[in-house]
Amino acid sequence: MNLAATGMAAAVAIGLVTALLAVVRARPAVVGAGTALTGAAAMAAGAAALSGGSFSLVLPGVLPLSGVALALDPLGGLFVAVTGGVAVAAGIYSMSYVDNPDLRARGVQVALPVFVVAMVLVPAAANVGTLLVCWELMALASLVLVVAEHRRGPEVASAGRWYAVMTHAGFVSVLIGLMVFAAHAQGDSFAALRAAGRQLSPVVAGVVFVMTLAGFASKAGIVPLHAWLPRAHPEAPSHVSALMSAAMVNLGVYGLVRIGVDLLGGGAAWWWLLVLGLGAVSAVYGILQAALSSDLKRLLGQSTTENMGLVLVGVGAAGLFASSGDHALAALSLTAALLHVVGHAAFKTLLFLAAGSVLHATGSRDLDLLGGLRPVMPVTTAAFGLGALAASALPPGTAFVSEWLLLQALIHGLPAGGVGAAIAMPVAVAAVALTAGLAVATFVKAFGVGFLARPRSEAVAGAHESPFTMLAGMGVAALACAVVALWPAAILPAVGAAAGGSAVSGAVTLRLNQVTGALSPLLLTLGLVVAAVVVAGVVRAVAVRRVRREARLWDCGGGPMSARMEYTATSFAEPLQRVFDDVVQPELDVDVSHHQESRYLVQAVEYRRKVPDRVERRLYQPVLNLVTAWGRAGRGLAPGSVHRYLGYGFYAVCGVLILLAVTR
Amino acid sequence: MSALGLVGGVVQPVLIVTGSPLLVGLMRQVRARLEGRAGAGVGQPWRDLRKLMRKERITPRGTSEVFRFAPLVLVATTLVVAVVVPFVAAESAVDPAADLFAVVALLALGAVALALAGLDTGTAFGGMGASREMTILALVEPTLLVAIFALSVRVGSTNLGAIVSSTLHDPSRVISPVSLLAAVALVVVIVAETGRIPVDNPSTHLELTMVHEAMVLEYAGPDLALVELASAMRLSVFLGLLANLFAPWGIAAEATPLALLIGVLALVVKVGVLGGLLAAAEVFVAKLRLFRVPELLAGSFLLALLAVAASFFLA
Amino acid sequence: MHVQLLDLACGALLLTAVLVLWRRELAVIIRVFALQGAALAVLVGVLAAHEGSAELWAVAAGVLVLRAGVLPHLLRRALAGAGESRRETRPLVNVSASLLAAAALTLLAYAVSRPLVELAPSAATQAVPVGVTVVLIGFFVLVTRRRALSQLVGFLLMDNGITAVGFLTTTTGAGLVVELGVSLDVLLAVLVMQVLTTRMRETFGDTDLDELRELRD
Repeated sequence: MNLAATGMAAAVAIGLVTALLAVVRARPAVVGAGTALTGAAAMAAGAAALSGGSFSLVLPGVLPLSGVALALDPLGGLFVAVTGGVAVAAGIYSMSYVDNPDLRARGVQVALPVFVVAMVLVPAAANVGTLLVCWELMALASLVLVVAEHRRGPEVASAGRWYAVMTHAGFVSVLIGLMVFAAHAQGDSFAALRAAGRQLSPVVAGVVFVMTLAGFASKAGIVPLHAWLPRAHPEAPSHVSALMSAAMVNLGVYGLVRIGVDLLGGGAAWWWLLVLGLGAVSAVYGILQAALSSDLKRLLGQSTTENMGLVLVGVGAAGLFASSGDHALAALSLTAALLHVVGHAAFKTLLFLAAGSVLHATGSRDLDLLGGLRPVMPVTTAAFGLGALAASALPPGTAFVSEWLLLQALIHGLPAGGVGAAIAMPVAVAAVALTAGLAVATFVKAFGVGFLARPRSEAVAGAHESPFTMLAGMGVAALACAVVALWPAAILPAVGAAAGGSAVSGAVTLRLNQVTGALSPLLLTLGLVVAAVVVAGVVRAVAVRRVRREARLWDCGGGPMSARMEYTATSFAEPLQRVFDDVVQPELDVDVSHHQESRYLVQAVEYRRKVPDRVERRLYQPVLNLVTAWGRAGRGLAPGSVHRYLGYGFYAVCGVLILLAVTR
Repeated sequence: MSALGLVGGVVQPVLIVTGSPLLVGLMRQVRARLEGRAGAGVGQPWRDLRKLMRKERITPRGTSEVFRFAPLVLVATTLVVAVVVPFVAAESAVDPAADLFAVVALLALGAVALALAGLDTGTAFGGMGASREMTILALVEPTLLVAIFALSVRVGSTNLGAIVSSTLHDPSRVISPVSLLAAVALVVVIVAETGRIPVDNPSTHLELTMVHEAMVLEYAGPDLALVELASAMRLSVFLGLLANLFAPWGIAAEATPLALLIGVLALVVKVGVLGGLLAAAEVFVAKLRLFRVPELLAGSFLLALLAVAASFFLA
Repeated sequence: MHVQLLDLACGALLLTAVLVLWRRELAVIIRVFALQGAALAVLVGVLAAHEGSAELWAVAAGVLVLRAGVLPHLLRRALAGAGESRRETRPLVNVSASLLAAAALTLLAYAVSRPLVELAPSAATQAVPVGVTVVLIGFFVLVTRRRALSQLVGFLLMDNGITAVGFLTTTTGAGLVVELGVSLDVLLAVLVMQVLTTRMRETFGDTDLDELRELRD
């Protein structure tokens, strides 16, 4: 038994034992520790698979019709390792986050380790039946977790409904695609599918690809099937949000790469142009919504749409290059995309855990009501600051390395692909650039408005720093962010193995094989630190007066400033909203109340801005209206009389019998 | 890291740190003369910096380390760019960091630090400046990266040393449509990033027209000196980048004292001329309303996109 | 000999089904239902004697206990709690029309089961149409009666018919396990209906199912 097999077995076993312990009402600390151990075992298994160890297991009798078949190759190993890492951080965090009765409920506690085990098994599935069963198990467990705090208000139940419907619609789409695929192959194991994939006719292959793309893209939060993400992620408990945003959405990407690149063998160029287009649109749309959002966790959820869009841009570019024969660039693109998956998992976990810490301490996630958290919660502020730097694609951040790799791949792809690439590449670069700029604005807003300056409301009054295990969970995620940012060479060989080709080499300096390009994040960071130290030293030497004096802020002589005078998140985003007014079409409501004495004297002005999701309005509303109309028409069949309903059954039976008798 | 690079890495920061306030002084003097005033002299910014360094260090109540360290980060990022980019020497001191994307991102990091400091003060001015600065930054990014794309296509790399030496070896490339379009786009970007008219007025005292000034209203003493110095250094770095990307002649190709002297002189002349032209243009142009700035930036984006298309179709 | 006993039992099944359709007093309906349970037990007993299988004798005993003993007892208990109205209110389809419908259903059952009988002609399979008729009559009772208790009896009639058809068509017998399973199902259904009628009486003061119409908005 090699390490990969032992790791997977240990992960599943520990997960199931933790679930059983939760059934008998073990303490949250035990469940959290068990989840973290499951994650650690999964990380070990994934790392072993990435460095060449493999494992496969076939249990024919366990599932009817297809049996259970598990196998771990480098691609699956990467996703298992990422899921495991996120589970470690979330598990440690949940040890003291779970303290109210809603979260301690038995169902919720059992669902957490089951969710992690299901997520670990999806990349290890080696036939269609296992993949679908684990996928559905993951969806059900996460649904239980999303509606855990349903007592908080009706929006939690609404979020749960949206999530349930959309995830099952996606499941049906994937099911149809895979069933069509398996019908044209000799069996439903991935080996049989791989052999048949090359022989499929273009129409059938196209249908399979589009159906599976719809399902997997919905899971990854890609426009236009993203509506569940900004609803479900804020309402879920924070460690669950981290697991969903940083581990579960990756499995949509895994499915896409597995079916499109591995099993179908590449396919036509239009597939990958579609993926690239969807990715670019999602990236821009997601970050635009995040830039205008003032709910902290909703902002983070929309940022997940943006990052998954960037990953899909990389995957689409990789497929495009592969279909035109340039395998070196394809490997580079896919490496960039997978590295972004890893980096995103690290910083999104950190951001959600920090946001959860804020929610836990203040009870609010509205940025317009927060602020002034630095003096009372210094560690959380530092953690969120690090996460914001990592997410905003600035050096020395985590996303900077993967975006640099992605841009290099896109730039060098121009001569390769013909007219299609000539149009797609600059548009893709422009989209990536716009998202980078908007991401910077978004995270400056989230960090600056939410954590710095003075408190904007009473919510912050009773805040205090989080307990130790919550800080430890954040620390684990921060460590992962730092490793990917400063020493990406530690994981680039593994990512290259998963991408099927080693496109980047080198330790301190990353050098691209086969194209010209080099970057050293470590040297860049060291340079920054040295320069800062030098400047600080020079200033100390040159400045005459050494002592710092505290003074009042400039208030134009009008007296001390109140919290109402601070810029809020809504006001910060207002110039962006004006610039993108046509795209976003927000609903504005300005309410002016005048003094009793005179209409010329204003007493108060209330400004309300609601940014609806335009895709939802244009795409989902008509579908929902149609279904509602259909349902209303169907109500005519149900007048309320029990006899009528029984009569339907009776007439049906008699009708069938008469038919049988007559047609004999 | 070669000897040339090492020497460049020492000479460049010194030159830029000492020369950028002089550049600012030159630009103000050009403006003054064109407006019929006598002007304060080219050395005034240095005198201002000296005065500020002697003042008290003040921290407003309610701010945190972000406010205190932002000027340091701003200067540090610009200093690293000054060391790494080939201004005087054709080879970079730290070649793996001399990537055009990395340099642009570092300069953006400085702007972000200042914006966070503006938010940290908790005043309406700070928030307003930060909000406007971030909007302009977000809109400038696409133009910047697509222009870099256009420049790198013909060279096959985004490494600055490679781009500079490729232009040195093949001067006729500069007058191609690709270069011209990219150059115009980059001029607009530089005006936006450094906060000059028509995007932002660096000498305004009206809060409603401020972008950069609003963020630094609370700074005083040595902190303000650092911010002013960094802003001057950013201006020289951007103008130097523009000059060396499109007209790198005069840059030192070997580590001899004569070549270095020529390199320094060439940089000083080029940046001075560009700064003078910019200052002269500022006299004749009015500042745009903030919500007209996106139109300007969209126009520059279109030019950059045309540059990329030209590099493909005319290649 | 066993053929005559078989036919007698089937005849009793059919007769009791028609009586359930004909009579309106609930106490009589329950008694008739108990008789039907006994007839079913006799049927299974005859088959057991013919096959000589001890398992079938056990099943016959179980059927007797359950369908002629336990279920009627439960129904009587539910009826006892019913209060004053101890007869069926005017059914949806009046009695004459119901009897005519029963005749039509019998013809339909014979037409449908003819191919089944032709498949394996024997004394047992000749009686299959009777079982199908009982099923259809039971369904009809379920649909057209207003009182919950009557509907329950109709449901149980259906189940008796299905059990009869099951035992008549399989040569080795459906087995103890199947019969146990089905019986458990039926028991559960009766218990649920008992609870339902109690609740309905508490809410509406009556067990007329048409009252449930008020729940619709």
